[in-house]
Amino acid sequence: MTRAIGAALAVALAAFSQACGGRTTPPAAEPVPASPPATVAADAPADAAPMSSASVTLYFPSASDDGLVVESREIVDTKRPADRGAQIIAALLTGPTNAAGLPAVPPGTTLRHLWVREDGTAYADFSEELTAGLTGGSADEIRTVYAIVDSLTANVPAIQRVGILIAGRENETLGHLDLRRPLPPDLSLAGHAKPTE
Amino acid sequence: MKAMRSLLLALFVGGAVFAAEPIPVKVSTDTSGASTRVMLTFGKKVACAVAEDPGHIKITCDAAVASDPPSGTLDDAILKSFGMEGDRALVLATGRGYTRVDTFELKNPTRLVLDLSGTRAGKAATAPAAAPAARVIVLDPGHGGVEPGAIGPSGVQEKDLTLDLARRLKALLEKQGTTVVLTRDDDRVLPLDDRTAIANRNRAILFISIHLNASKRKTAVGAETYFLSTSATDAEARTLAGLENKAYEPPEAGAAATSANPPDHGLELILWDLAQNSFLAESSRLAEAIQTELNAMTGVRDRGVRQAPFRVLMGATMPAILVEAGFISNPEEEKRFKDDAYKDKIVEAIARAVSAVAAKP
Repeated sequence: MTRAIGAALAVALAAFSQACGGRTTPPAAEPVPASPPATVAADAPADAAPMSSASVTLYFPSASDDGLVVESREIVDTKRPADRGAQIIAALLTGPTNAAGLPAVPPGTTLRHLWVREDGTAYADFSEELTAGLTGGSADEIRTVYAIVDSLTANVPAIQRVGILIAGRENETLGHLDLRRPLPPDLSLAGHAKPTE
Repeated sequence: MKAMRSLLLALFVGGAVFAAEPIPVKVSTDTSGASTRVMLTFGKKVACAVAEDPGHIKITCDAAVASDPPSGTLDDAILKSFGMEGDRALVLATGRGYTRVDTFELKNPTRLVLDLSGTRAGKAATAPAAAPAARVIVLDPGHGGVEPGAIGPSGVQEKDLTLDLARRLKALLEKQGTTVVLTRDDDRVLPLDDRTAIANRNRAILFISIHLNASKRKTAVGAETYFLSTSATDAEARTLAGLENKAYEPPEAGAAATSANPPDHGLELILWDLAQNSFLAESSRLAEAIQTELNAMTGVRDRGVRQAPFRVLMGATMPAILVEAGFISNPEEEKRFKDDAYKDKIVEAIARAVSAVAAKP
């Protein structure tokens, strides 16, 4: 148990350090790195020094029905929405620890960038694997999309809706769902398993 | 089934309207001509959609509006009265003489003009009443061409099966006297917008998109019927659509040029969302009927109707649903879909639901 939390914190810390190098607004002209920085940034900001942890609820596709199941994780208790969001997505990408859950995204999927606008919209920019690895069925697509949207909106009050980008670009759809604009959460997919927050 | 027809109208979209105060709409009517003319003069630019169903014409706006006067009654065989419904819709109650409506917009100030044609006391209609339209149902076989959709473990491709099922359903419905149009009748790529455009152009009374599902969960089995989710098309989201597209800056310099979205897609989205929003209740009833029949026929398990923001349903100006007829990722279910008798049973179930819904007055 202690080990699991330790591992989760390590993942969270890595995501946090990475996210701290990011920004909350999209850079207009600068190219975004093609992949997330592999190394942990050494220049963590001073205000991040005494770090406590926070419990968050992640949504994963259910192994037993077409909905989502929840798992809790410990992340670094960062206040900036973009930092929290990046940690949550990093944990989601790592996958479920419980047999009741299935991976939320195809293998190899990485988060390239995440930023949060003041109007409550988060944009999560994923690598190409997110689309390339889908089964082509709407059931999986719906669960992948809402695992991301629900995990972010349930845990970051500043995020009310999520836009999903692939390799820096907007997409009409991953096949079925309308992704032309940010999606609000659909907690009905989690059935009775409401977020614990 | 109400014979619904919808006209979409772009009055103007100048970004989101956050005004807490409703937008004043001056309503004037003129019955002196052969037709009855209704002119709505808006105090501010706003997007509205005009939908028609028996006895009513409903003008739904993208922001709160307040009609002036709040309501009115006319001594007219074409238009009986008008009044607000909620804070965004103005409803015109049409009279027995009413046959059709034509709309156009004027700018500076923003005005919407509705010309209601019909007969008054035995006088001839100003415009010939539209010939009784054939009842058209549009069936949309999902995917196609280089987009196979889902692929089953033994190689069954969703695009082939959707076309097969759509052709069978077409034959069955046509036997019952319904005109059926397929969005594609061969193996080719068809953009999602074109699919609903075909239904809108044909003034279809129903739009049914046919798909087969797939899941990493190998035990996933059974049919599901979807209609558009309201959460994804709520007022806030529509408002945002207008805003987001103005403020959006692509994260990469090169992304803008390759973006699939036209610069005006905020306008397009608002209009389309309003379009399907007018039909959500009917879409829900159709989905419910189809799901009930499919559950009874397959006996696989009791699945309910579901909602999701399916891209292909967005622009439909008629009740629209998407049916996932089964999971071809499940080897047993994939095998069933190789059996002609099983495919016939599936389309018979859908046809029963369609007939029941379409037969309702």
